[in-house]
Amino acid sequence: MTTKITKTEIGAAALAGALATALTLVSATASAQTMGGDKAGKEKCYGVSLKGENDCAAGAGTSCAGSSKVDYDGSIWKYVPKGTCETIKTPQGTGSLKPVKS
Amino acid sequence: MPHALQAEFATVLRDPALPLPTSVISHTSRTPQKRFAVYRNNVMVGLIGALESRFPATRRIVGDEFFAAAARVFASTQPPRSPLMMTYGDEFPDFLASFEPAAEIAYLADVAGLEAARTRAYHAADAAPLEPAAFSQIDADRLADLCIVLHPSVEIIRSQFPIVVIWAMNAGDMELGPVADWRGDDALVARPALDVEVRRLPPGAAAFLQSLSADAPLGTAAESAAASDPAFDLAVNLAALFSAGLAISATHRP
Amino acid sequence: MRIASSLPASAGVGFKPQHFPAIAAVAQPLGFFEVHAENYMGAGGPPHAQLGFLRERYALSFHGVGLSIGSTERIDRAHLARLRILCDRYQPESFSEHLAWSSHGGIFFNDLLPLPYTQATLATIIEHVDEVQAALGRRMLLENPATYVRFAESEISEPAFLAAIAGATGCGLLLDVNNVYVSARNHGAEARVYLDEFPLDLVGEIHLAGHFETVDEAGAPLCIDAHGSPMIDEVLALYESVIGRTGPLPTLIEWDNDVPDWPILLGQAQSAQAVLDRCCARDRAQSAA
Repeated sequence: MTTKITKTEIGAAALAGALATALTLVSATASAQTMGGDKAGKEKCYGVSLKGENDCAAGAGTSCAGSSKVDYDGSIWKYVPKGTCETIKTPQGTGSLKPVKS
Repeated sequence: MPHALQAEFATVLRDPALPLPTSVISHTSRTPQKRFAVYRNNVMVGLIGALESRFPATRRIVGDEFFAAAARVFASTQPPRSPLMMTYGDEFPDFLASFEPAAEIAYLADVAGLEAARTRAYHAADAAPLEPAAFSQIDADRLADLCIVLHPSVEIIRSQFPIVVIWAMNAGDMELGPVADWRGDDALVARPALDVEVRRLPPGAAAFLQSLSADAPLGTAAESAAASDPAFDLAVNLAALFSAGLAISATHRP
Repeated sequence: MRIASSLPASAGVGFKPQHFPAIAAVAQPLGFFEVHAENYMGAGGPPHAQLGFLRERYALSFHGVGLSIGSTERIDRAHLARLRILCDRYQPESFSEHLAWSSHGGIFFNDLLPLPYTQATLATIIEHVDEVQAALGRRMLLENPATYVRFAESEISEPAFLAAIAGATGCGLLLDVNNVYVSARNHGAEARVYLDEFPLDLVGEIHLAGHFETVDEAGAPLCIDAHGSPMIDEVLALYESVIGRTGPLPTLIEWDNDVPDWPILLGQAQSAQAVLDRCCARDRAQSAA
């Protein structure tokens, strides 16, 4: 199916109608939110905190992550993903994925 | 410090196969390998740690061991170019997209892209969302020419995969399980106030928002959204735009 | 140009965002908070909301970790400009950086790397400190690093090197007592000897932290400046001996890895505050006598 859209399809009246509907929808949600008080409560917490990544500590001095060579050859890569990807079954199993269009 | 010595120190820091600069010593050794390794490890583990904390859902999907190994390959080939560690890993999603050992997890790079956008939104500029009341003052006859500026934190990630659900499951927001609906998601990341929000966009909304952020006026944006998906509903999208605080100004084209 | 530091001579803590709810809940018995400047160089969001909250209630110290003052290349002008904007916005009571380098050839190493202490290095650092102070319109504090190796060409002791930089630039010094302990032990030297040589009259702030100890390839002690544990008694004793000589100084507890719950970190600050209080009590007793 091809959809032909011309400028006349969304005219001034349609835009105005959509805006009016939108504003009605928003005022309904806004009053619901005010009742719940959810948003105000969240903002008092100054948002969820992420860790700052710059610091001056030498945490990992005795690991060996930086002192062995990074040998990377895709064909002999020794690591296999072993996380939740085993649970997130796709329509094609965990193998090669093709997007499913419906 | 001679420039050549610092350059050599920097090179040796990144390549454990190279011998130490001869002037690097300790009171116990002429070649203090283990002591020099402290610096090498700090650098590498610090970079892996920065990626781990920026991409927690991606890490959960592939597991800690695979993630650390992949992060190490990334860090050794694409070290930071800026002292702002908050920006480190912007290129990690692209790296994963072409990282062969992760090829079977086709959705991985897009989930990482969503996580990268979330951190950018976290640090994005603050801007007060426009009150919906401001829109009711607008001249209805000239709506087509209205230019709506979106909040600086807004990013849209379009994926062939259901990345919002996959991300939510791995961010602890949803229980882990099989994904029933395997259609692609248009994800919206925004931080209208202080909390970063992730939403799954309705049909056509991605084209609508992308068009607005490319400075198209409302009429043009609505038309391109309708062209991209016939199910696009302008009223619903405008309502979402206002209630989610995504618009920060609306002015008529001069 | 403003003085190097106007922090209160009491205990402070390195701010960690995960402690924000605990810190915001009640007024904390602390003189100041310190933040790593680079973590606040984003445009907005929660980091600035939190920093703004702290600014309204406490003295602030900005501690840079990315300027690479010891670089043999030019100071990163863009980074210096970001620092200037941040200092102008928040007007911190102190700005400090490290005697170290962290960038070279366009790559940022995210670590504080060591320098040979030679006349040539001295000239470079003096030039860079001058440039930073001119750009920021304020005097800075320069911190002694924790080091794991040394350079064969070093010809000046670290305390003398820092004294020479301060003498030439007018900058103050940040004395990290844990770094003194760590470096002395790593180089088979005595922390007390180092402190005897250190120009204590130039110290504008003190850092305290935990470290862990392992051994090098020869079996000699190798201390890692991990900031992931409580400070050890020896470091606290060195600190008390410094305060006994200088009088009370702004004193910061750094804890960056395996960050504990807020009460534990606050407890570390209270240990330092107790040392400062004892020093004041002794001064009062002496002036009364």
